[in-house]
Amino acid sequence: MSGPGDHQVADSIEPADVQTLTMARALNAGLRRAMESDPTVLVMGEDVGALGGVFRVTDGLAKDFGDERVIDTPLAESGIVGAAIGLAMRGYRPVCEIQFDGFIYPAFDQLVSQLAKMHYRTAGAVRVPVVVRVPYGGGIGAVEHHSESPEAYFAHTAGLRVVTCATPQDAHWMIQQAIASDDPVMFFEPKRRYWDKGSVDLRAASAPLDRARVVRSGERLTIAAYGPMVRTALDAATVAEHEGISIEVVDLRSLSPLDVPTLVASVERTRRLVVVHEAQTFLGMGAEIAARITEACFYQLEAPVLRVGGFHTPYPASRVEEDYLPDVDRVLEAADRVLAY
Amino acid sequence: MSDLASPRGPAGPRSVPPGGEAIDFVQLLTPDGARKRPAEYPLDVDADTLRGFYRDLVLLRRFDTEATALQRHGELGLWAPLLGQEAAQIGAGRALAPQDFAFPTFREHGLTWCRGVDPAQVLALFRGASLGGWDPAVHNLHLYSIVIGTQVLHAAGYAMGIQRDGHVGTGDPARDTAVLACFGDGATSQGDVNEAFVFASVFNLPVVFFCQNNQFAISEPNQRQSRIPLYRRASGFGFPGVRVDGNDVLAVYAVTRDALDRARRGEGPTFIEAYTYRMGAHTTSDDPSRYRPTGELEHWQQLDPIDRLVEYLLLTQTGDERYFAEIAAEADALGVRVREACRSIPNPLPESMFDHVHVEPHAQVDADRAWFRAYQSSFETAGGAA
Amino acid sequence: MLKEFRLPDAGEGLTEADIVSWRVRPGDTVAVNDVIVDIETAKSVVELPSPYAGVVVELLVAEGQTVPVGTPMIRIQTEAAVGADPDGGGRGNGSLPSGSGEPADSEGERTPMLVGYGPRVGAVSRRRRVEASAPAASAGEVSPQEVVAGLFRPMAKPPVRKLARDLGVDLNTVPPTGRGGVVTRQDVEAAAERAAAATVTADERVALRRETRVPVKGVRKLTAQAMVASAFSAPHVTEWVQVDVTRTVKLLHRLRRSPDFAGVRLTPLVMVARALLVAVRRHPQVNASWDEQAQEIVTKHYVNLGIAAATPRGLLVPVIPDADSLGLRELAQAISVLAKTARDGRTQPSEMSGGTITITNVGVFGVDGGTPILPPGQSAILAVGQVAERPWVHKGRVRPRQVTTLSLSFDHRIVDGELGSRVLADAAAILNDPGTALV
Repeated sequence: MSGPGDHQVADSIEPADVQTLTMARALNAGLRRAMESDPTVLVMGEDVGALGGVFRVTDGLAKDFGDERVIDTPLAESGIVGAAIGLAMRGYRPVCEIQFDGFIYPAFDQLVSQLAKMHYRTAGAVRVPVVVRVPYGGGIGAVEHHSESPEAYFAHTAGLRVVTCATPQDAHWMIQQAIASDDPVMFFEPKRRYWDKGSVDLRAASAPLDRARVVRSGERLTIAAYGPMVRTALDAATVAEHEGISIEVVDLRSLSPLDVPTLVASVERTRRLVVVHEAQTFLGMGAEIAARITEACFYQLEAPVLRVGGFHTPYPASRVEEDYLPDVDRVLEAADRVLAY
Repeated sequence: MSDLASPRGPAGPRSVPPGGEAIDFVQLLTPDGARKRPAEYPLDVDADTLRGFYRDLVLLRRFDTEATALQRHGELGLWAPLLGQEAAQIGAGRALAPQDFAFPTFREHGLTWCRGVDPAQVLALFRGASLGGWDPAVHNLHLYSIVIGTQVLHAAGYAMGIQRDGHVGTGDPARDTAVLACFGDGATSQGDVNEAFVFASVFNLPVVFFCQNNQFAISEPNQRQSRIPLYRRASGFGFPGVRVDGNDVLAVYAVTRDALDRARRGEGPTFIEAYTYRMGAHTTSDDPSRYRPTGELEHWQQLDPIDRLVEYLLLTQTGDERYFAEIAAEADALGVRVREACRSIPNPLPESMFDHVHVEPHAQVDADRAWFRAYQSSFETAGGAA
Repeated sequence: MLKEFRLPDAGEGLTEADIVSWRVRPGDTVAVNDVIVDIETAKSVVELPSPYAGVVVELLVAEGQTVPVGTPMIRIQTEAAVGADPDGGGRGNGSLPSGSGEPADSEGERTPMLVGYGPRVGAVSRRRRVEASAPAASAGEVSPQEVVAGLFRPMAKPPVRKLARDLGVDLNTVPPTGRGGVVTRQDVEAAAERAAAATVTADERVALRRETRVPVKGVRKLTAQAMVASAFSAPHVTEWVQVDVTRTVKLLHRLRRSPDFAGVRLTPLVMVARALLVAVRRHPQVNASWDEQAQEIVTKHYVNLGIAAATPRGLLVPVIPDADSLGLRELAQAISVLAKTARDGRTQPSEMSGGTITITNVGVFGVDGGTPILPPGQSAILAVGQVAERPWVHKGRVRPRQVTTLSLSFDHRIVDGELGSRVLADAAAILNDPGTALV
């Protein structure tokens, strides 16, 4: 795992309103801004205080906002989410950190039966503006339960919003948008991209929280990706360009709701779609997207929608994770197939 | 306590029903209506308060039996009767200060009663007309929770909020606030409940854990949940536990009031085990004769929470037959009112199922709603879910 | 009033019960909640209380009988005035399936169960629909693709695509006849037959694969005539300007979130139309026509705004009448409706006449500009290019900004260079800073 990050990344040589930051720092700055602008925002989780979180995303927040607002909780995921629901009922906006993707399951009932349904059960009387931050995905050589992609469970659950950032710019803004939302938001952070640097415009977000973005324009096919796979998809598009194939890349950003119109507009032009994610393809986000696009673009599609993702195995030992995770070659293999129709 | 030393294994036969004498608990009113005055729980209640308790117990029981009948009439899909637990719930409910907030189970009809929730709103859930029924903020009472024990964590979190609001330990009785977290004996085995104990303990939260030990988790007796008396669990978590006679409204009131005061003063959580008995079925779909030991119900009927109060009212000349008749008439009127209210609960409009999934617009819900609307209007005749 | 009490589901999904013993006989008086019968279900023996007060008239099921939930068990004569039963419950399983004692419908009956009211038995007949379901021709409402001719991509089902490939038919050349402009199997077969009929030799067959010949007719023919007429009668001048439209794009984002624009499709095209309408208000002479016969220039005091649209039938220019009188919301709706109508091939000839000035959105195809040809009888046409992020000097620094190109062709007989330039510059200025539309 990388070190605590680059705290002073080149701040001085750029205009103050555009900075080059790692995703972890961009998230940290976003959390800080949210806490500054709204005193009801709390950060809670395991090791989020003095340590600053195992990925240092909450670094320095406890020092500046105190342990009443940056709460090191007992080691109990269901407790973290359940207590956050109670705090939200009392008027707070808790931002929970689940330390690793694979540790979220003890909180499953509190997330899908309590958090997701509270507003609905109360016929709108109670709002639970809880954000649950989840570092997710593999590729960091971790031990088991530290590399999983459980987003589809939550996208399947009505009542939750599910979003994921792919760049420092989106990380910085989407976390603030998620906190500002009156709905519960599952916020998935691609942990292998925490130390990727990118420019962050501190003045404006790139898009509303529930919108996808075309991050690269192309002609022959569309790749839909999110979180850690956006960079992989862009890399694949760059390689393909050298081969004379123009690929459009859509960063989904929001998994629930899905921004179907943006995808449809892209596929109506390119007429081919490949969906890429780390999670298992079986009943994954790609399956839903394939169904949607097949229905919406039936007359335009030149080929079936193909998926690139994890195999139907538990996440394997990290020495073979490179063979498990989609990479540029796997994405291009699918591109070749979809173009062969 | 004989529980730990008991030679019976967890699956062994249940012993003779535990009587008032065999169990060590706080009691202010014996089953015969005799007043006891334990030094730790001084309680002076005036005649009006005593009569108020009686009225609460009788009307609550009437509401409950009426709801059971309404299920048998086919007006409710299900009902969870509280018969036998009236004193535990009224004692706790009446101990709450207006600003306190309570988190009930699905059997907490005494709490909804004390917190002024309209009985029809309670029935709407069991009739299938609603998933909740009331605005928690209006009554400082959360909705019934169906998944066992989940609400106890919400109570801990809510207490964290109170703490952050600075509404603990100020000495201002109108400001200091406590949380009452209700659950049953079965819930003490749930992870969420134990996690809530940890949170409450390490953060010293203003919460009172109010466990009604009604002896059964559906069919499973206490021994399947614990080998020690439940209230003794608290000491392992680092806060006090106390067992109270759950059929003694005065004792429950005194003990809960004391624990809530303690919480409001900032002295942390308390675990109360209200030792009581579910005289009815788990729900209207249950058949307790399959698991209830012979003679146990009859034993507990001797310990009825209302009978002992009647004795005490007569003994202290606080109530007489005329007063009891008055309350009985009021109970009958309540029964009629509840019946009529239940039958006139409207069915929700089908399209309302799309409301309040989220606060902010969600494209998927909106798309589903639009499709459903178009689908419904595509028929020549309205209806479908008539 | 005579009431019937039906066997309710005593608990969570039971389907039937045995009548163990009646506690009442005909002629007995019962009060509400008096126990009238003991039943035994698969789960337990249950006492059923009476929901009615009155006199027992008849017992409808005998002791020892096994009866399904919902079976009428007893008739009780109630005093109507008692009013204990508003009869309206209807949802309870005692009075299910159809309410108070009426015979059950065949539709929507419930299978009684012990948790809750039990599942409904599926309807055996089909409810009548006003209109049968039809697949959407396309998912999105109207995407701007269809605006501008020539680049239309054909729509067809996968097996039809395969057929076309097998027959060597280029779908781009097949006139669609299906609903919403879909190329059908018959269209492809017809195209193949035409090709075959025109083929005599193997060489020609080879040539056919290298070229496709499609007869000029329909919209294509009319378009061609109109373009030639316009190009060779009105002397065209085209001017263009690049403009930073970042503020307009942001305004669009804001408006889309505004409840005032809920359900309205707001596109950059709408904003361009708005900007052009403001420019026309400032320079009405540009909104004119040349009357050759009368030797007069006719300035219009209304704006009928044409929007060039690529459709399955070819290029169409449907018109929004009196577009200058519309608010932004109405304008957006009008463009959306017009484009959808055009796409579905439902545009009527009357909806394409009377245009006074036109916009063509070539940007959706990823190009920046062009020299659009005037629709006959009009004096100006504005082409709007793609809105793309470009390096742009903004406040003294090079920044990525949203930039587009506007190209205005005008009839030089009517509009001289100064007027044309002002119109174009004004529209550009408004898109650069939408606030200037207020002044």
